[in-house]
Amino acid sequence: MHDSWADILVRSFREVALRLASYAPRVLAVLTLVLTGWILAAVLRALALRILKSADFDGRAQRWGMTAPLTRTGIRRTPSEIVGQLVFWLIFLVGLLMAIEALEVPAAVGFAPVVIRFLPNLLIAIFVMVIGWLLANFLAQALLIFIVNAQLTGGPALAGALRWLVILFAGSVALTQLGIAREMILLVFGILFGGTTLALALAFGLGGRHVARRTLEAWLRQRDEQGPDDISHL
Amino acid sequence: MSEAPAAVDLFSAASLDALDAAGSVEVVVGVHAANLARRIGEVLDGISSALGALAESRRAGVLVADAGSQDATHDAIGAWCSSRTAGPTRGFIDVVLPRHRGRAMRGLLLAAQRVGARAVVLVDADVASTREDWLAALLEPVLGEEADYVSPAYVRSVSEGTLTTNLLAPLTRALYGARIQQVMGGCAALSGGAMGSWLLPFVEADDWPSHAPELWLTAAALASGARVAEVPLDRKVVTSGAPQPDLATILARTVGPLFALMERHQAAWLSRTEPLSVLRRGDSSRVQADARSPAVDQMVRAFDLGLKDLLPVWEQIVPESTLARLYPLALMAADEFRLPPPLWARIVSDFAVAYHERRLPREHLLRALTPLYLGRTAAFIVHVRTMSLSRIPEAFEAIDRAFEDEREHLVARWR
Repeated sequence: MHDSWADILVRSFREVALRLASYAPRVLAVLTLVLTGWILAAVLRALALRILKSADFDGRAQRWGMTAPLTRTGIRRTPSEIVGQLVFWLIFLVGLLMAIEALEVPAAVGFAPVVIRFLPNLLIAIFVMVIGWLLANFLAQALLIFIVNAQLTGGPALAGALRWLVILFAGSVALTQLGIAREMILLVFGILFGGTTLALALAFGLGGRHVARRTLEAWLRQRDEQGPDDISHL
Repeated sequence: MSEAPAAVDLFSAASLDALDAAGSVEVVVGVHAANLARRIGEVLDGISSALGALAESRRAGVLVADAGSQDATHDAIGAWCSSRTAGPTRGFIDVVLPRHRGRAMRGLLLAAQRVGARAVVLVDADVASTREDWLAALLEPVLGEEADYVSPAYVRSVSEGTLTTNLLAPLTRALYGARIQQVMGGCAALSGGAMGSWLLPFVEADDWPSHAPELWLTAAALASGARVAEVPLDRKVVTSGAPQPDLATILARTVGPLFALMERHQAAWLSRTEPLSVLRRGDSSRVQADARSPAVDQMVRAFDLGLKDLLPVWEQIVPESTLARLYPLALMAADEFRLPPPLWARIVSDFAVAYHERRLPREHLLRALTPLYLGRTAAFIVHVRTMSLSRIPEAFEAIDRAFEDEREHLVARWR
């Protein structure tokens, strides 16, 4: 009885030890991949930051109108730090995916190739969003300045509407690139854009035409009475 | 004849041949014209006859360049130059495309250099009041070898040229240390020697701006420490061939080049310690009363609207400390509106630094100055409205002093 109890104990310890020993290389490989991914990501982030700094990326981003919206949304990182973080997480994500693949967990088999195949589209989508965001800010700022200089009211609302329209358009392009509900996005965007334009045209043309006429007449009268050309500036 | 290799790239071959055939010309009047097809013949006849008296004693010539006309000015200039009459030599400086005001002026200077001119007067054909006495006054300090650059000082009404009196001239004075009434006055005289010395790098440069190129000449003269003179002329009459652009565009086309020149000449103005002496021929501060005092309500409304709606843009240009001084102005009635010179000088300085640091697209930055400029213009008009004419120069001097006082702050922030 005693022997059999001892045998059972030893056998079970041995089995656990053997099983652990068989997992150890994989665990070590996972740790190595995660650590390597982390180190590589950190190195590439530092490299990216150095390159961006030498290219005066933060200064350029400020000129392109990126910094001010970031600050307004409460983001305290500089644009180059954000790009650095993006580089870090992309590289680290690849390392993590390789680590998951190395574990050979049945549920995660084939997960990494799918994600890696998806990455280029994701990068293009991010690029489209960044360009769209920059364009939205640039156009909104230009429109706001134009409206204020024309001495018309409602500049911030119109500029905000233009900003969101461009961002919405860029977002739909990015989602289409990702292949997420492509048909639905096209349909929704078409309906939204077309519907809004039609609604505004109807509202302005039918409901608000008298207001529009009065506003335009007042503006033209004001301009004729005493415009900026009333004095010679030069 | 002087060598001017850059001319080969800038002129048509026919122009070069005609210039070389003309031989040496001692005094050149270089006229640049745009969109004046109907009047250009009359303008050039006037200038040619104004030069007539000088042409009797010296070999003189009128050189004309098209500054990018959209109408038939180019052909009209060609026709005028090819018509044979007695009087000064005529030369058509056919600048190759693209044509604009800066390339036309550069072309005229290169042409004058090629014919070995001792003195050049550059005249904008829009200035309809150019007369014999003007040319004589502008040329006299150059031919007398007392100055290399001669700038005009016009009789002006109190509220005339508020952009010049409230920004362009005081900022130029603060930067380069010379009090010049007109930094872009429509005409100026240069010595032939200047084109071989301080002006040479500018004449050779192919990046002359299409707008406000006269600022280039003025800034180049002041930054290089050239001998500068200012001569009083009477009222300037301008008959522009093109419609006046809107105010924001005027600001972008004048303040933009001035800020750009601050970068180009930063070594000169950052290190300046002494004022630059200017030779003056008479009183250059003559002022006439306004025919009617401009209404300021609209300007103050434009300022208030800017303060309400343009704040997110101004926040990127002007520090909070400056903005805090602007907020109380929104409560002022139009007839009591005040935007004092020191605050205005600080705003302009903030804009110049933001322009230099490219904090936002430069065109946006310059156009965003419009409501502030209108506020300052309104404040200036309100301030001088009750002043006697004899005290108006004091108001101009106060603006200049405010910019001079701001200079130290500007230098400290300019990196």
